[in-house]
Amino acid sequence: MLETNDPALESKYHSKLNGDTVLVIGMLVLLVGVEGFVLYKVLSETWEIAENFFSLYVIFVGLMVSIEAIGCLSVRNSIKNHMLEFRYYD
Amino acid sequence: MSENHESGSLVKTLRPFHVWALGVGIVLVGEYMGWNFTVAKGGVLGSLLAMLVAGTMYVMISLCASELGSATKLAGGPYDWARLFIGPGAAASVGLAVYMEYIALEAADAIVVAFIAQSIFPELQVFPVTLLVIALLTFVNYRGVVAALTLNFFLTMIAFIAIVVFFFATAFGTVDIHPEYLFQGALPNGMIGLFAALQFGPWFYLGIEGAAMCAEECKHPSRAVPLGQQAGMITLLIGAAMTLYLCAVLIPADLLGVSVYPLFEAAQNSGVFIFIALLGLGTFLTCVASANGCVCDSSRSWFALSRDHYVSSWFSAVHPRYNTPYRAVIFTVPVAIGFAFSGFLDQVITFSIISGLLCYVLIPFSLIRFRNLFPETTSKVRPFVGPLQPFIAYFAIAIAITILSTLFWGYKYNLIFGFVFYGIAYFYFSYKHKTSKAENNWAEMGWPEPKGSENARMGMEVMGVGDE
Repeated sequence: MLETNDPALESKYHSKLNGDTVLVIGMLVLLVGVEGFVLYKVLSETWEIAENFFSLYVIFVGLMVSIEAIGCLSVRNSIKNHMLEFRYYD
Repeated sequence: MSENHESGSLVKTLRPFHVWALGVGIVLVGEYMGWNFTVAKGGVLGSLLAMLVAGTMYVMISLCASELGSATKLAGGPYDWARLFIGPGAAASVGLAVYMEYIALEAADAIVVAFIAQSIFPELQVFPVTLLVIALLTFVNYRGVVAALTLNFFLTMIAFIAIVVFFFATAFGTVDIHPEYLFQGALPNGMIGLFAALQFGPWFYLGIEGAAMCAEECKHPSRAVPLGQQAGMITLLIGAAMTLYLCAVLIPADLLGVSVYPLFEAAQNSGVFIFIALLGLGTFLTCVASANGCVCDSSRSWFALSRDHYVSSWFSAVHPRYNTPYRAVIFTVPVAIGFAFSGFLDQVITFSIISGLLCYVLIPFSLIRFRNLFPETTSKVRPFVGPLQPFIAYFAIAIAITILSTLFWGYKYNLIFGFVFYGIAYFYFSYKHKTSKAENNWAEMGWPEPKGSENARMGMEVMGVGDE
């Protein structure tokens, strides 16, 4: 990450970066909560049928949420690395 | 330091929330209607699996699109990625597929808006209202991309909030639900239904890759595209899960599978006026937002095809005052009207899905080629480095082909027609651009020569081919 000689600018940029981070983390928490709730409700009501292929749901929800979470982390790192170089928040 | 290379004169003003609005605006309509055909095929459990499998594929596709969009910063999106990293035949096929995908969707959305308007005001006629919707949205896009996508942001936000409010009210017991519907409609067609339901799984997310198509008009594409696209993807994943649950506990599965407006119908079954009004408004607004986003994306794809002489270069003009590709925008009108009044709306929508799935094979493939040609990770070439690549690109291709194969049940002829159409486009444009195509000017994009190009150039010089 580039550095500037302007502490006020860097402080402003880190504050804005924190805003982006909070937004993404908030959405990820909501995603995990909603997916967990819906899967629990549907699978518990249909367990007699769903138990035969329960693992399919676990595999795909696990893949979906974990890849999205890793992707969001990469987006955050990318913004952090380039925010001063490309003047994202000016 | 600027991250924008010279690439025409489209105005560069868009921010991450515009990217979110473009992506989610196009797709959210699929959560208000269309996705429920998964229930008709595979019941509630089939629909849930289709949602998760398609969701996994789209998460991977959106990461590929984020990396490619923030790297190339071009208006053509998937078309430009295929042109730069695969070749002219694939580029033309993808460009046409994107164009067909969005313009068919625009036509379908405009008709639904007209039907909703007619159900509220019975004296209205569908035909003139459809024309009016298409004309109004074209005018908004003609005037400027910022206005068009800001409008989309508000329309989409209202429609999404309607789902969220309805979901939490239901989850916290404000609405009487019927959990027994879940078991009654769990898996009506057995295990084959579980597999067949996959063909409608993309409805939950169809078109999210289009969010990256405004990269050329973003102020900071390396931030706006990945952030807007991933925020959009999470929004859709949340919306899909909420929608499935709400509809499955409020509508019996046999009725849900054939419902035209499932979320609105679920609200009606709740009996609470505020939800009926909210979801009715949401259904209407999401159709308008989707049609609006489709005008934006289809015109950018046509503009990009025109700029590279795949179609007449007359369409590549940029408006001197509004900085929009106005001829490409206006050209969406006759094509959308043609689709809208062809009388084969279901066929048009299926063609849109097939076109989308073709893109989902070629977008990850473009990323694999991009990584092979430009392995270096510099701010100029690859400002956003997607994780777990190229493994998730291969996995996304495998899921897209699997879903494409499930269309064989019920849509065999559409599938064959799609393959023939895009096959002809591939070979025609490969042949046409074999002799006339100039090499990509990487230096103009501020990129180094791709890996292997030095060897190829030396080989050409040894053989006496080249400058002379």
